Amino acid sequence: MNLDWSVVSDNWQALAHGAMLTILLTVLTMLAAIPGGIMLALMRLSRFKILALAATCFVEFFRNVPIILLVFWAFYVMPVLLDISFSPFATGLIALALNNAAYNSETFRGGINSIRKGQREAGLVLGMSNFQAFRKIVLPQAARRVLPVLASGWVSLFKDTSLVSVIAVGELAHTALQIRSQSFRVIEMLTAMAAIYWLMGYPQAKLVDWINRKYGVKE
Amino acid sequence: MEFDFSAVIESWRFLLGGFGITVLLSLCTVICGSLLGGVIGMARIYGPVWLRAIIVFYIDSMRAIPVLVILVWVYFAVPILTGWSLAPFWSALMALSLHLAAYVAEVLRAGIESIRPGQTRAGLALGMSQVQLIRKVIMPQALVRMMPDFGSILSRTIKDTAIATVIAVPELMRRADSIAAQSYRPIEVFTVALVAYFLLIFPLTRLVDVMYRRFAHLGRS
Repeated sequence: MNLDWSVVSDNWQALAHGAMLTILLTVLTMLAAIPGGIMLALMRLSRFKILALAATCFVEFFRNVPIILLVFWAFYVMPVLLDISFSPFATGLIALALNNAAYNSETFRGGINSIRKGQREAGLVLGMSNFQAFRKIVLPQAARRVLPVLASGWVSLFKDTSLVSVIAVGELAHTALQIRSQSFRVIEMLTAMAAIYWLMGYPQAKLVDWINRKYGVKE
Repeated sequence: MEFDFSAVIESWRFLLGGFGITVLLSLCTVICGSLLGGVIGMARIYGPVWLRAIIVFYIDSMRAIPVLVILVWVYFAVPILTGWSLAPFWSALMALSLHLAAYVAEVLRAGIESIRPGQTRAGLALGMSQVQLIRKVIMPQALVRMMPDFGSILSRTIKDTAIATVIAVPELMRRADSIAAQSYRPIEVFTVALVAYFLLIFPLTRLVDVMYRRFAHLGRS
């Protein structure tokens, strides 16, 4: 078997561009999914039953379906339903954001719920308003507990961005698979793809471990 | 907008077969992944130092590389390297199990490490051997604590089997895709597939939540 790695070096610009898009997609999805997750979590914890129910349905639905199918579904359904055509990138972004907002909302809800009720009540007794008690007592502690979970969610998201390649978003996986089918250098290209993902993902996984050690809550 | 579900109704057997393959692939993956993950998880905790380093590297690499990449690598590159060609189903099983094993090993480690070291010392002081200690003191508690995490692993595996569509495993996702392409009814077909996955996975995540509440106190030490 003769391997010809020049296909990787010849196409490094395309691969670098794909890797950039992968990072961009991860960042933009998280930027949309964190506020979305906070909103959903607050809706679920609110006094208004209808809001809570709507948020619960949303979260349970998007948490319990495969992302790859969600991507396909968004690709075909959104243009018809909303009568606007989205670029593949925007479609992928929306599908990932919907899924991740659902996961994040569970993270935030767990974080808020993990702060004992007595603490908020103590704040109220001291004359704080509901909002003050939430902002000054619950939120700072919840944020610390949420951070490690959010960090591992980030790595999962980074990996899941590869799934939008099925609707031809030109991120790393799609770019590499395209070059593979044009050049027929299967092993070289697939190995290069895995290596690039590894180079980007491995430090992130290690960082998550570090955040977990530093901020993780022990019993 | 009009909906026409006749394409789904006409090929319900085909789709149901795909659903069966999804379930079968998930079950096989969970079994193989758990066995492999159990072995490497135990080796990581109790094995020699050099073995631990290799296993940590393997686990972290699997956490860093997307499932899709592992799937296409196993399906396209392994036959060229080894000369064996595997059917898509077996390639998918292998790739998904290799990936899952890393997560199972992590869950196992977290479960075992959550048992306080004082218990190990107490066991040793009572004259138990290492094997007895693991079998009688650590595992009964660790397994209970692992159950909710293991449940989430199960539901994640089902979701990951949908990715096997990229190497043409004829599971639900793949079959929905082909019916959608033939009938020009992607909205109806994909919606039905989405609902089918939801109905499969949702009870499982509910079960995990129930287990959390039901078993949390049993794992306390």
